[in-house]
Formats: sequence, structure tokens, C-alpha cells
Amino acid sequence: MLTNNAEAREEYRDVWVVAEVLAGEIQKVTYELLGAARGLAEARGSEVWCVVLGNRISSQIDALFHGGADVALVVDDPSFMNFVDEDQATVLTRLIRTHKPEVVLCGATTRGRALIPRVAVDANCGLTADCTGLSIDPENGDLLQTRPAFGGNILATIRCSNHRPQMATVRPRVMNELPVDTSRTGRVITETLEAGEAGGLKQILKVFQDSENSVNLADARFIIAGGRGLKGADGFKMLKDLAERVHGAVGASRAAVDSGWVPYYHQVGQTGQTVQATVYFACGISGQIQHLVGMQSCDFIIAVDRNPDTPLMQLADVAVVGDLFEIIPQLIKEISRT
Amino acid sequence: MRIVVCVKQVPGTHDAKIDPETKRIIREGIKVVINPFDTYAIEAAVQIKEKIGGEVIVLSMGPSRAVTVLREGITVGADRGILLSDRAFGGSDTWATSYALSRAIETIGDVDLVICGKQAIDGDTAQVGPGIAAHLSWPQATYVMDIADINSGSLTAQRMHEDGWDLCLVKLPAVITVVKDINQPRVPTLKGRLAAEKQEIPIWKAADIEADPELLGLNGSPTRVVKTNPPQGRTKKSVVLDGPVEQSVRRLVQELRQRSLV
Amino acid sequence: MKQHLLTSAYHVEILPPKQETEKLYEDLDRFSSKFERVMESGYCACITDNAMGNLAFQGTELIEELELDPGRNQVMIHLNTFHTKADLHRILDSCKAAGIRQLLVITGDGSDRLPRLTPAEVGAEGVEAVTSVELLRYIAKTYPGDFDLGVAFNPYEPEDHEFAKLDRKIAAGATFAITQPIIERHPVVDKLLERYPDLPVVVEAWMSKKISLLSEAVGYEIPEDTPYDPIENLKTLHRNYPQCEIYLSILGFKTQYPLLEEIRN
Repeated sequence: MLTNNAEAREEYRDVWVVAEVLAGEIQKVTYELLGAARGLAEARGSEVWCVVLGNRISSQIDALFHGGADVALVVDDPSFMNFVDEDQATVLTRLIRTHKPEVVLCGATTRGRALIPRVAVDANCGLTADCTGLSIDPENGDLLQTRPAFGGNILATIRCSNHRPQMATVRPRVMNELPVDTSRTGRVITETLEAGEAGGLKQILKVFQDSENSVNLADARFIIAGGRGLKGADGFKMLKDLAERVHGAVGASRAAVDSGWVPYYHQVGQTGQTVQATVYFACGISGQIQHLVGMQSCDFIIAVDRNPDTPLMQLADVAVVGDLFEIIPQLIKEISRT
Repeated sequence: MRIVVCVKQVPGTHDAKIDPETKRIIREGIKVVINPFDTYAIEAAVQIKEKIGGEVIVLSMGPSRAVTVLREGITVGADRGILLSDRAFGGSDTWATSYALSRAIETIGDVDLVICGKQAIDGDTAQVGPGIAAHLSWPQATYVMDIADINSGSLTAQRMHEDGWDLCLVKLPAVITVVKDINQPRVPTLKGRLAAEKQEIPIWKAADIEADPELLGLNGSPTRVVKTNPPQGRTKKSVVLDGPVEQSVRRLVQELRQRSLV
Repeated sequence: MKQHLLTSAYHVEILPPKQETEKLYEDLDRFSSKFERVMESGYCACITDNAMGNLAFQGTELIEELELDPGRNQVMIHLNTFHTKADLHRILDSCKAAGIRQLLVITGDGSDRLPRLTPAEVGAEGVEAVTSVELLRYIAKTYPGDFDLGVAFNPYEPEDHEFAKLDRKIAAGATFAITQPIIERHPVVDKLLERYPDLPVVVEAWMSKKISLLSEAVGYEIPEDTPYDPIENLKTLHRNYPQCEIYLSILGFKTQYPLLEEIRN
């Protein structure tokens, strides 16, 4: 809402986290956002609310309190079994109008990024995607949002002075969870779906959870990625093996995806996914610019290649020169030994 | 069926270089190109037209030189293009951009489907597609990897998620955003390009789309960029391991252990 | 086979206009005038196929749209594996209709914007990706006798490996070979001529002064300021390989082209 004077802005308080619920489970990113929200709420002297749109989620509410929430605002409805963005946006907008939060945070997942822009338009407020830093301006209490742009080439700081709430999405693994505090409790506010809020514009016909190929690159701390140098689908089996041992996810270059060695949702880079893992382990990827823009913001980059002069080997924090078909099995051996 | 494809002109990366100091990509002096994801959106629209008939209109907001991306769209099968270009649109964030585009879609009239790329590679927000849907109060399907079925009243789309996919039936008119997996865009032909060069592309101003000036450009943008900084470069010097395999691997494991990664 | 190659004196590479050009008509004019000049000289015009993965217009569509006369077998079309099957057939059918016989069949460089032939589309089994070998076999089988199929030969690659590859290419239907750019002479090219006396070989001459650009092709770093006289090198290649045709890449049409006739004689 437009709030171009201090009085109007003061009506808005508290920091909200929109829970990410997948197949009835509240996801880890929600707890990470609660951790970030806690700091912001303390700076503003307000509360952390977690908004949960789901079905049969009551057993998970306590965990939200243990993770930093003061209030759980719950709408429990069978229609939230599946992801109908329009209906969720309608409900969320109504809750925002009623309870007037100052800040709304949401995970920058495929679902979060579909839902929140609708809410931002309907609630007439600003939204910043993929924030990597959130803080409160001590002078006027505005939320300062930092985000990378141009494939991580620029860090922009953004504020929304005249609109409330201030909304932001944050990628998984960017913020830190708080240590679980089982002594914490909180209030539960229950709301119901109102007539007409299920708009009937979308019907979910089928849901497919791909557990075998589940990659969730956005959520991975450790990404093992392969390129042309892997020479085939068999090479990726080796990477999967390594990934399992380090609890990582398998990524791939465009060349590997286009050759049909792995499905598209493994692709990292400009036309795939942009990732921000703690470690990016690139095997046989030369590192075309289009790939680099998708992974250069990872904290620690390892590259394995025969050729020490490829762009990725130059970019890497650790560049291992040699035959990856010798190095990876040796690495697997070394890791499992201990 | 009348389909509008929203396209954006973005800085290209194919001739970019890496700064040896900061190890970041140097963006200066590089060309502008069509946002790569938009080529999949155009192809999806043209395929629907070829299957069930209709018209494909490419729509962009930007400076006058952005007509080139519209011509690219016409080259590969769009019937016509419209450019929104006016100082009043300057400084738009995703809220104001999606408002202006939604006004243009209303002005075109009788639109059944809007297709966008999943995001633009410069801003990376993925907010404009759902923003347009919200302004129009239309349903949406994002990260679409396949259009299983489409008819005059609805479409069935397969949406990609981190953990799999779902199949949804959406009433038309609707907005969808597409990922690369959806198709292989056709390669432009010279014949198509020569035809596109000859087409006049109308330029619409704020008044042409009956937009509320308070909701356009900087006025209509809730967000403000207050500063931009270069990100911290990778100042640490790279470690190059080029000895025998066993030695390199041992060292690598050491590096990983130091960071408690294994 | 060897005779016909010898009739078109020089193979002159011409780059087709890039699709991203903002000066389409100017580029088309420039392409036409280069092409016509090569035809008038009785040389062979060699038109690249999305070289380095950069999208450019196809040689066949340029010839059609610009109504160019491909002369008497004076055009060589580069053809790589980054096409849809429909586009591949369109190109081959256009070549056939225009009387273009010479194709240089290469694996090529892909990009996000380019499709790639799949093994199933060209009837290849047991391979994960289509390379020049599969493409050659497919063309030879689908268009029997319609084309002279050329292949690339890279003397800078490990020798045994490259000769084995050449054998596979010949078995798949290749009838002539074009080398990577050669500076004066290369022992592996000498061996090639010795071992394959019946295979017409075209030697590539790098006509840019910037020889450092060849670093990637030859596999070692050539310093940027290395002096190089392309005209002298061309003369040397004629002397060292009198039995071979010469392929001219990055030829300067203003200053170098007028010298060609003289150099040859």
C-alpha cells in the first residue's frame, strides 16, 4: 500500500515469513528466513510472524516457534494441498491488508517466485528478488535489501520508502537458521479461507515428485557439476556417486545437457539455474561465460580439468590439473576412507 | 487465438571477458541481444499458432533501438510487433513494468494468452510475468516446461519445480512463463529476416495505453536502487594442484576439511 | 575427384553475415560482391556454417535470396551437426538444386541458440552425439553420388588419433580433406600426402597477419607480436605442396586478393 507519510507507515509492524510447504512439509528455507526475520524484528522492536498456507500442518507449528517465530498465522485448508498460486496470492493479500506487516519475506523458490510477485502487485508494494543481505536502516527503519544483478556482477542496495509492507525473496541457504530453542513458544492465529478466495482459475491435474532425479540446486550446499569433459552419461554416474557421499547435488553445463547426458533441470548457467552454493565443484567444464554467470557467486570453487588455462580453472579457488577419470574415483576413495 | 509474447532487450554475454583482478565478468561495451529465455517464449507462441491458428504479437518496453528484438521475433514467425517507448516509462521497476505491459495487452484487446521467458538475464527477478497476470487478474503458470494441450478456453501446462513438476489446467486468458526445456527455437532464416526488416513497428507512448501516469516509471515504482557496489572479488589467490593424482586429491580433501565440507 | 578440385584454383572462405547484424543490407551487399568476385576469378567460394557457434545466415539461402550464380561447381558449403533434420535436408536439397557439389562436413560449434542433430535422426547407433562421421555417413547414404564430401584434418592433434579419425571419415564417405592452417610446412601433412596418395588434400593458408589468433587451433600459445607475412607463407605453401589446392581464410579482399593471380603463376 502507498504509505507516503510516517503516520501511515507506523500502522505497519512485524516481520512476516511466508512458509514454503512442500508435500505437507514446511521446508528448511522457512527456518532460514525465520533466522533472518528475528534480527530484523529485534532491530524494529517488533515480532516475527510465520504465515502458513497448508493442509494438516498443525503438528509442525511448534517447530516454527522453536526456530524463531513469535506468531504462527495459519490457514489450514485442503485446497492448499497443491500449489494454486492465484488463490494463495488472494488469501495472502487479504491477510496483509488485515494484519499490516512491515516486512514480508519469502523463499526464492519456483513457488515463492510465482506467488510473491502477484501479492506485491495486489498489495501495491515493492518487491526485491533474491536478496543476499537484509538490514534495517537505523535512521528511518527502512528495510535495506541487497541483491546481486547481472549474473552477480553488481550488488545493488534497494529500499522501498513509501510503500508497506516491504517484500523480499531470499534464496535457500543464503540466511542462517537459529539454533533450535525448544523452550520458545508463541501464539497461533487461525484464519480460514473465505468464500470466493478459491477462484477456480487453475486445477492441478497431477503432481510428480522426482525423488531420483531430485536435484534442488538452489538448496544445495555442495554442487558437483559436470561438462563436456565427462564424455557421457557414465561420467555423470561417477559424479552422482561423489555427490551422494558429500550430500551434494549434481549440476551440469549446457553442453552436457544438450548432449542428453543429464536432464535440463541440472543445468547451471544463463539458460539454466543461477546457484549460490558453499562449494561448486566443476568437473570437465571449460567455463563459457554463460556458465560462469550462473555459478560465480558460489563461495568456494573447485575445478578439475586437463587444461589449466580454461576460464573455469582460472576462476577456481582450487584448480586441479589432470584426468578427472583418475581424480574423481581417487577423491571418492579418499573421502570414504575417513 | 491471439497470443502476446513479452520480450526484453538485455546486455549480451557471449563476447564478455573476465576481469583478471576481480574475476568478474566485464560488461562494458558489449552488445544488446534478445533475452535468451524470450526466444523459447516466441517459439512456444509460434508453435501454438501453427497448431490451432491465430496471431502472435511481440511486445517490448524499452528505448527505440529495442525494435531490433521485435524484428527478431517477427523473423521467426510472429505476425507483428509493438514497442512501448516513452520517457514516462523510464526508471520502471518490475511493478511499473508489469503495469505498463498489462495496459498494452488491454489496449491490444482480445488477447487469450501472454507468454514470457521465465526471467530476464540482466535483472533475474522473474517477477514481470506474474506481475502482468496480477495486474490483469488472470491466472498464471510459471516455469512451464511443456504445454500439453491448448484450446480456446484453457491450456494444460507442465510446471517445473525444484522437486519435480506438476500439471495444471489453467483457464484462458492467462499468462505463462517458460523455461528452456519447452522447445528448441527455430533458427531464423534470411527470408524471414528480410520480411521483418520491411515491417513497420508502431511505437506506443503512455497516452496510447491509457495508463495512469502515477503508476508509470519512477512514480509507479515502489523500489529504489540506493546504491550499487561491485561484489567482493575473489581476492584469495588460486591454488593450482598439478602434481600426481594422489597428492592433489589429498590436498583437495584437506581444503574441503578446513571448511568442514567433508 | 582429384582433377575437379584442381580446376578451382583457390578456395576462398567467405563469412556469411551474422544474424545479430544491425546493418543487414550493407552486409548482404558486401557478401554478394565478394562472392561474385570469387566466381569471376574462377575460384571456389567456401561459405561457413555458424562458425564458432555464432548465428549467421546459411550459404544456400544467401545464394537463393540474393540470386547469386554458384558458377560451375565453384561453391563449397560448410555443413556442421548443429541443425534440425528438416533444416539439414533443406540445405542439402538447395545445394543439389543449385548444382553445388562440394560440402565440407564438420562437427562444428554449438550454442544455446542452435539445435543439434540426434543420433536417431541420422540413423546412428551406439553413439551419444552426432559428429562429422555420422553426418557424412548419413549424407552419403541419403544423397548417393550427389556431393563431394570434404572433411577437416588437424595435424596439430595427436597424430595416430587424427589418422584413425580420418580413416573413419573416409569409410563414412569422405572424398577430400582440408587441413588446419599450416605455417610453411607440417610433417604430419607430409605424411598425410604420402599415406593417402589418392586423397585430394587442400591446405589452409592463414591470411591474417595476426597469427596469435591461431593459438587455439594449433594447441600452443603464439605470442601476440609474432611477425607473420601471410603472402610469403602462401608462396611457401605453393612451393612445398605443389600438388595441393590452397584454402584461404581471413583473406583481405582489398589488398591481398589482387595479388593472388600473380602468386599462383
